[in-house]
Amino acid sequence: MSDKNLFLFNILRGLAAILLALAVAAVFIFISSDEPLTALKYLLLGPVVSFKSTGNVFNTTSFLTILAAMIPTIFSGLAVCVMFSANQFNLGGEGAIMLGGFVGALLGIYLKMNTGLHQVVCVLGGALAGGLIMLIPAILKVKLGASEMVTSLMMNYVVMFVILHFLNFVFADRSKGATQTFPFQETAKIPEIIANGTKLTWGFVVALIFVVIIALFMYRTKWGYAIRMIGINQSFAQYSGMQVGTVIILSQVIGGMLSGMGGSIEVLGRFGTFLWRELPGYGWLGITIAILAKNNPIFVPFAAFFIAYLNKGCNLMATYSDVPSEMIDIIQAAIFLFFAAEQFLAKYRQRIVVHNTQRDLAVQEAAASQGGSNS
Amino acid sequence: MIGDLLLSIFNADFLYSVIRITAPILFAALGAVIAEKAGVVNIGLEGIMMISALFGVLFGYWTQSWLIGVIGAVVIGVLLALLIGFFAFEMKTDIILGGIAVNMLGAGGTIFLLDMFTGMKGNTGSLVTRELLIPTVDIPLIQSIPFLGQVLSGHAVLTYLAFLLVWLMWVVIYKTPLGLNIRAVGENPNAATSIGVSVQKIQYIAIGLSGALAGLGGAFMSMYYSQGWNSGMVAGRGFIALAATAMGRGEPVGTMLSSLLFGLAQALRTKVSGMQGVSSYLVSVIPYLVTIIGLVLYAISTKNKLKKRHTVTKGAE
Repeated sequence: MSDKNLFLFNILRGLAAILLALAVAAVFIFISSDEPLTALKYLLLGPVVSFKSTGNVFNTTSFLTILAAMIPTIFSGLAVCVMFSANQFNLGGEGAIMLGGFVGALLGIYLKMNTGLHQVVCVLGGALAGGLIMLIPAILKVKLGASEMVTSLMMNYVVMFVILHFLNFVFADRSKGATQTFPFQETAKIPEIIANGTKLTWGFVVALIFVVIIALFMYRTKWGYAIRMIGINQSFAQYSGMQVGTVIILSQVIGGMLSGMGGSIEVLGRFGTFLWRELPGYGWLGITIAILAKNNPIFVPFAAFFIAYLNKGCNLMATYSDVPSEMIDIIQAAIFLFFAAEQFLAKYRQRIVVHNTQRDLAVQEAAASQGGSNS
Repeated sequence: MIGDLLLSIFNADFLYSVIRITAPILFAALGAVIAEKAGVVNIGLEGIMMISALFGVLFGYWTQSWLIGVIGAVVIGVLLALLIGFFAFEMKTDIILGGIAVNMLGAGGTIFLLDMFTGMKGNTGSLVTRELLIPTVDIPLIQSIPFLGQVLSGHAVLTYLAFLLVWLMWVVIYKTPLGLNIRAVGENPNAATSIGVSVQKIQYIAIGLSGALAGLGGAFMSMYYSQGWNSGMVAGRGFIALAATAMGRGEPVGTMLSSLLFGLAQALRTKVSGMQGVSSYLVSVIPYLVTIIGLVLYAISTKNKLKKRHTVTKGAE
């Protein structure tokens, strides 16, 4: 009974945190905008409703583009779930995604293969690159005790500038005005599930499959158990004979592979050539998503949907009203602070616990006094 | 040939620019030092610098006074740091996530705030006039010494403040009761509590100070270094500061030396990227790569020391 109450409480608490974050956003909108209601309408409903003079209708295309936007963030969210579960604050997802995208793009341009196999090779190449780059902060952490957080942050910039160098001086398509690579071969492009321009590619299906794989890995395998145990209590894990170092490296390499995979799937599905000229930002979104999902892979798609929905809402709001789309960062920051706050609404949890205990005690006392009067 | 190249690089102008570039990193790094001494990880330095940089410009513009701009930047820095502190200490949000939240505010929130306050997009354009820049000072006597004068004199007031703060920080940490409490809280909170020190109060003070320092770094960036605020301005300096602190073993003087190393790397990047046949992108990697290498060297040296002593310390956690 009490467990059920607490479970319900945790869900309500999460919703309250999200509502509070949206309330913060609303306050900012009311302060900054001349047309706050229009802005709010587009932020909250715009992503799935098209407003027409004849009435409001469900906007299927827009809904599908939201699903499409989830593809890279599901991967980066899963990556962060795995790494944060092991208590590894590796923030290198950004770099790994960009690198994975770049390597996947190069393989898609210069390899000659049959379609079907070609995509798989490109994505695996991207995953491999992401995994390899994450070896750096992971090994430095385990062998030398260097903070994975700082090294991975620095690594992001190194990766970005090295890619920009190769993009500009080695692989650039000089016939184009903008700096970009040559176009991908048709055999490498990841096709849409239904060809309707929403960019909802088969990558979405792959992403959902990986949600299941990672959930099974984390909760049904020895390695997943080790990762979670190290996150909960590293000393305990060490004393119970786990190979802590190996598992810490493993968690970050898996994180890197997922990131690299997400990057290559996004690049090959969304664009016809490699266009990223800065870090894509999916790595940071992945952190927000992992926090919303409480590091549980199963919740990642829902969190990714929520963030993609908000993102779309912010963009629409910026288009149709005077509120800039960067509002998304303020909402995210507020979600971060409240959602991750263990003490947020803790009083009520305390009250539930106290209430349950008192009830149990009352039952016991009643039983005891009954026993006393009988004797 | 290489001698000529070196000479053309390591002249007075270059060394002057090293000091100039080091200052903002040093501010933030000292902020990381004081937080770390109290056992607090403030990874929000980057975001604090961005937001303070913006408000430095805005306050300066509104009051037409650079000094009030700088003070405003510091106040904003303190408030943001206390916000991280509040969520970390009272609401038990993981302090790293609190820091990331502030970094998000710094990245996108600043663009939003700028638009809200001024209607400008992405940079402050002409808000910063010459009179609103942090003034530079010539130091009497030193300025007339050849070479040395060129390197050391004529910096912004805040540049001198940054290096002065290294000394001041050392004094505060090692020679004052507050510093003793901060170190006690950082090294062993339980022991500190047992002698009646309020851990939370000390940690609030420490993170507040770190916010003030990052705020100074931000003001330096927008009100002197790049003469205006723009969205890509801080460019990871808050993170580099964290690395500099790790490399400087969390000590003020060591942190100053590692900050200078990054200043040197960054100055070298500016210098070399102007040369023909050099990829500006690869040169841009230098400061970040130096940071990683520095961290590795530091980690190796700590590890060797630990081996010699045969002791187990916090570093292994």
